[in-house]
Amino acid sequence: MSSGCTPAPRGAPSARLARIAAVVVALAVAPVDPVRAQDAAAWLGKAAKAARELTYVGTIVYQHGPRVETSRLTHLYEGGAEYEKLVNLDGPAREVIRSQGEVRCYYPDAKIVRVEPRTFRNVFPSLSPQQQQALAQFYEFRVAEAARVAGLEAQAIVFEPRDGLRYGHKFWVHRDTGLLLKARLINEKGEAVEQFAFTDISIGARVERDHVKPSWPGTPPDWQLKEGSAGDAVAQDTGWAVTRLPPGFVKVNEGFRTLRGKRDPVAHLVFSDGLVAVSVFVESIAGMPGQALGTMRQGGLNVYSMKVDDHFVTVLGEAPAATVRQIALSVARR
Amino acid sequence: MNEDLSRLMDGDLDDAELDHLGADLRRPQALATWACYHAIGDTLRGCPHGSAGFGARFAAALAAEPTVLAPRPKARAERPAMRWAVAAAATVAAVGVVGWTAFSLTESPGTAIAKAREASGITSAQVRPQGVPQDYVLVHQEYSPATALQGVQPYLRAVSAQGSDARP
Repeated sequence: MSSGCTPAPRGAPSARLARIAAVVVALAVAPVDPVRAQDAAAWLGKAAKAARELTYVGTIVYQHGPRVETSRLTHLYEGGAEYEKLVNLDGPAREVIRSQGEVRCYYPDAKIVRVEPRTFRNVFPSLSPQQQQALAQFYEFRVAEAARVAGLEAQAIVFEPRDGLRYGHKFWVHRDTGLLLKARLINEKGEAVEQFAFTDISIGARVERDHVKPSWPGTPPDWQLKEGSAGDAVAQDTGWAVTRLPPGFVKVNEGFRTLRGKRDPVAHLVFSDGLVAVSVFVESIAGMPGQALGTMRQGGLNVYSMKVDDHFVTVLGEAPAATVRQIALSVARR
Repeated sequence: MNEDLSRLMDGDLDDAELDHLGADLRRPQALATWACYHAIGDTLRGCPHGSAGFGARFAAALAAEPTVLAPRPKARAERPAMRWAVAAAATVAAVGVVGWTAFSLTESPGTAIAKAREASGITSAQVRPQGVPQDYVLVHQEYSPATALQGVQPYLRAVSAQGSDARP
């Protein structure tokens, strides 16, 4: 639905340059304390290690917008491997099983199981000094108040954005183990965009392998299996690029993925500022009949879809809608 | 009234004010002011003819859209016409604000970005996310640092009740 006007972000170049310059100047003078940068990285590293290597069972309240949903989480660490099961307790039943090789999502009402290969890389224990500096350059890190979460003693830590291009983050970590008990995404008005919180948790609970298995053995015969293919994680040049990347974001992955039995592979580029990721997907229009365009939102994810020539570009990430949109509008062939 | 219109374009109205102003906008005088404000925006952006017939084209395009409206679950009892009105107002506001703020040259980048973001917020609050491809969400999650910190929890975004409004 074009009005025939120049789209906003391609407006007067001088004004845009002036704005970019203002941001650059603001960031250049922002003090980056190397000790703080190390502190922030240490907190995140400890939380990531705890999330992976502890065994725990708990109830999670997930809030996004006006919605509140409750789920049961079981996490088992055994023989150097992690197994997770997430079951929602209200609304239509949903189940997510995350194990060594894959992530399976069950939608029993629709009789669909969606399977994606697991390509996860744990970023936090391995943040380089440069990455730590970048994190500290774009977020103000501070240790905030002590608090109780799910009956446990917790310490709040805050990452406050230094510009308008990212959300704020507040984490409540368990004092004894470093496990994250509560996480909140905060917009520029100080409002929670999304929040995950344990309301009860048993850390070090006894968990059997049976407790982290799907409720359905295999795929029931009358269910539909939607499967992504493995081996897609290989890094390669997709021929697509983001020409105006917001400051602080760097490309952490690029490659093709085969999704949901689509004939043509989908280009996937991932950018991260250290705390969040933004994904860029590009596929041929033929693979996306009836795809909605424009800004959408799903929980803490903002999504922007648009057409570029004979392709659909979809950008999504835990960043403000304007940031996601800016990235989408600058996707171009290399 | 004019101030409220201006605040609407700036994305500063809350839901109650938006409803109220939506009613006011039925008056020709208010509509003329609204159009005038946007004409100024168009002129600033160097395309003075851009808005000719825009309203009619917008209305036609909107009528042709499959409905991606609003329905928060509790709102389903509302009259359909009301939902149309609210969603249409929100969409018009969002389009207006994005265009306007992007060309407000005197504003600091932070303010402009914040306003554009609010405008987008209005749209997304009213539009059901049935267009978000769920396989994209699942693929993205594996690369998100949130997954490193919280394990499987962020997958709730993909399978929550909101996600289930979308095709699984």
